[in-house]
Amino acid sequence: MKKNSYKSILLAVLLLGMMATVAIAQDGDKKDLMLSTSYFNSNNQTQYLVAHTKCKIDGKFLPIPAIEVSFYITNDSAESHLLGKAVTNDKGEAPLMIPASAQSEWVKSAKQTFVVVSKANKVFDQTKASTDVVKAKLKIDTTADKKINVMVLELKDTGWTPVKGVDLKVAIKRMGGDLNVGETQTYTTDSTGSISADFKRDSLPGDLNGNLTLIAKVEDNDTYGNLTVEELVPWGAKMEYVSRFDRRTLFARRGHSPIWLELLAYSIIGVVWIILVYLVGQIRKIKTLGIE
Amino acid sequence: MKDSAIQKITEDLLPQKFGKQGKIWVAFLSVLCIIGFIAYCRQLSKGLVVTGMRDYVSWGIYISNFVFFVAISLVGSLITAVLRLTNAEWSTPLTRIAEIIAVSAITFASLIIIVDMGRPDRFYNLFIHGRLQSPIIWDVIVITTYFFISLLLLYFPLLPDLQILLRFKERTNKRLYWLYGFLGSFWKDTPQQIKISRRAVNILSITIIPVAFSIHTVTSWLFATTYRPGWDSTNFGAYFISGAFLVGAGAVIVAMYVFRSHYNLERYITYSHFDKMGKILVMLALLYLYFNVNEFLVPAFKMKKSEEDHLMGLFTGEFAPVFWFAICTAMIIPILILVNRKGRRPLPAFIAGLLVVVGSWFKRYLIVTPTLLHPFLPMHDVPESYKHYFPTWEEWAIAIGSLAGAMLIITIFARIFPIIPIHETITETEQHEKE
Repeated sequence: MKKNSYKSILLAVLLLGMMATVAIAQDGDKKDLMLSTSYFNSNNQTQYLVAHTKCKIDGKFLPIPAIEVSFYITNDSAESHLLGKAVTNDKGEAPLMIPASAQSEWVKSAKQTFVVVSKANKVFDQTKASTDVVKAKLKIDTTADKKINVMVLELKDTGWTPVKGVDLKVAIKRMGGDLNVGETQTYTTDSTGSISADFKRDSLPGDLNGNLTLIAKVEDNDTYGNLTVEELVPWGAKMEYVSRFDRRTLFARRGHSPIWLELLAYSIIGVVWIILVYLVGQIRKIKTLGIE
Repeated sequence: MKDSAIQKITEDLLPQKFGKQGKIWVAFLSVLCIIGFIAYCRQLSKGLVVTGMRDYVSWGIYISNFVFFVAISLVGSLITAVLRLTNAEWSTPLTRIAEIIAVSAITFASLIIIVDMGRPDRFYNLFIHGRLQSPIIWDVIVITTYFFISLLLLYFPLLPDLQILLRFKERTNKRLYWLYGFLGSFWKDTPQQIKISRRAVNILSITIIPVAFSIHTVTSWLFATTYRPGWDSTNFGAYFISGAFLVGAGAVIVAMYVFRSHYNLERYITYSHFDKMGKILVMLALLYLYFNVNEFLVPAFKMKKSEEDHLMGLFTGEFAPVFWFAICTAMIIPILILVNRKGRRPLPAFIAGLLVVVGSWFKRYLIVTPTLLHPFLPMHDVPESYKHYFPTWEEWAIAIGSLAGAMLIITIFARIFPIIPIHETITETEQHEKE
């Protein structure tokens, strides 16, 4: 019994010691950086990558700025495959356009792997992440009766093939964000790789010619990444720009105050200063009377 | 009225040379002005960076001082115009004191604005780029007008006294004698001249009231037309005017006591004057207290989230000591002193007046600064120091220098001209004897 209790005490001391060691070690350790990368293809022309950095601090995932990251094409992070370097911003994002120099590597296969490596610093160790992308594109068509057809095509050995079951959004680009063309939030492509949407936003203000920008987008797709395609359509209401620059308003520039304000202000000023000038005249009169 | 009595009044009220105390007082004020000027030169050479004003607080004690000066200048219209038009003859000995306070205060109100602009040439831009829609332009126009009216109101009643001064050539020096001659040698006291002068003073008394109300209402609109916690109020015009009348009346009581005791004017500025001015001050303090209750109780009852920081900062936070000091010294303590008959004797009334003036200065500071520290949309990425404001020595020196400058003008005026109207006092005494 006594022997067992000694063992228990010894075990407890050992455990405590180990825990303390681990705790101290953890304090001294660097934090874990969560690194990921996303592929973007805009209008089937502009392709770029964005690296995201996050870390769990006080129980919350927070973006980590000022982390230098290197982007590589293919699974190999050799210098020859380096696309470029970028530094994360306040949102923990570091974008990088895929340079033309990567073309030879890009055309080799229908699938592509991108690797992103963060540079080690005092707080974080070097971290590596990768993303695999199957080359795909969106095709958008519109008809005169305001129907929108979008097709998702994937690159295969023989050429571009329609893809079934891809979720995408069809919207109109606005200043504060995208506005869905109708009630449906998300469309899924059918066996022909297409979706069909109706434009139901009549009288939506467009540009000077009534043009709106339609946008179809695939977001965060595990296979294809982020794809967008845009098209200009004359379905909006024409915006008539009315210049207020020369109008008489309370917020106008000098010399363009409202007439009522000018009348009021100048009348008051005029009346008061006429009285004052009259009184100065009275001083003159007093003077003349005194000299006589 | 006997010649000897007239002679006595004239002798009593003629301007007196500075004694030892007077010289020390002038020297003291001059030193403060010089220090203020040196600080201003530093500000001119190094820029507004020498002040404590940054992105948050862009209106510091300069603008507080400006509002204070504008407020105190309103006393000219109270004493000279309102009491004159209501036939309150007892106020005659106080009219010139009130008017010179108004002129000196409005002079320094204009100057302190130029100081606040940083580069003085910006004042010129106000005229070439100013917009009629802006309350700042209204303020410039109305201050200029008020200054001019106050000067005229000072000058017209001075004309008969200038003639009296010219009779005492032996008691003055050459330069002053020339000045009296230049300003009033043409006054012959003819019935026509008297008639014109009286009519002019009446016209000025009527004109100055709306202009005086405008000057302080427009100054309040500089704040109230801005959407900020503490300024976004429809009460501001009346709130400012009641406060201005209060501080102006307080300043007159202080000046009354100082002139009375220093120039031995007990016969002319009597207990009755202190009693009446004391009652006026109590009424004005109660009125201002009423507006303060309106100004703070209603927002505090609602306690909108966006205004909470500002209000709590005043009631219990960073500005609470100054806030309660201002409320107590500018209103509550003077009311408690003056509501009592004994409290309306010269010395206690002087103390109450002084408290009102000091408390009112801090009240102006509280109107300007805490609001600027609590904008609806806080700024991002500003240094922590920008979120607090404490004036630098340059700001204190300039502000104190400007206050000293205003007092110097009053002091020098009292040295050159009779601070109590001689001619009016004689005329009124004669009338009383006839009655």
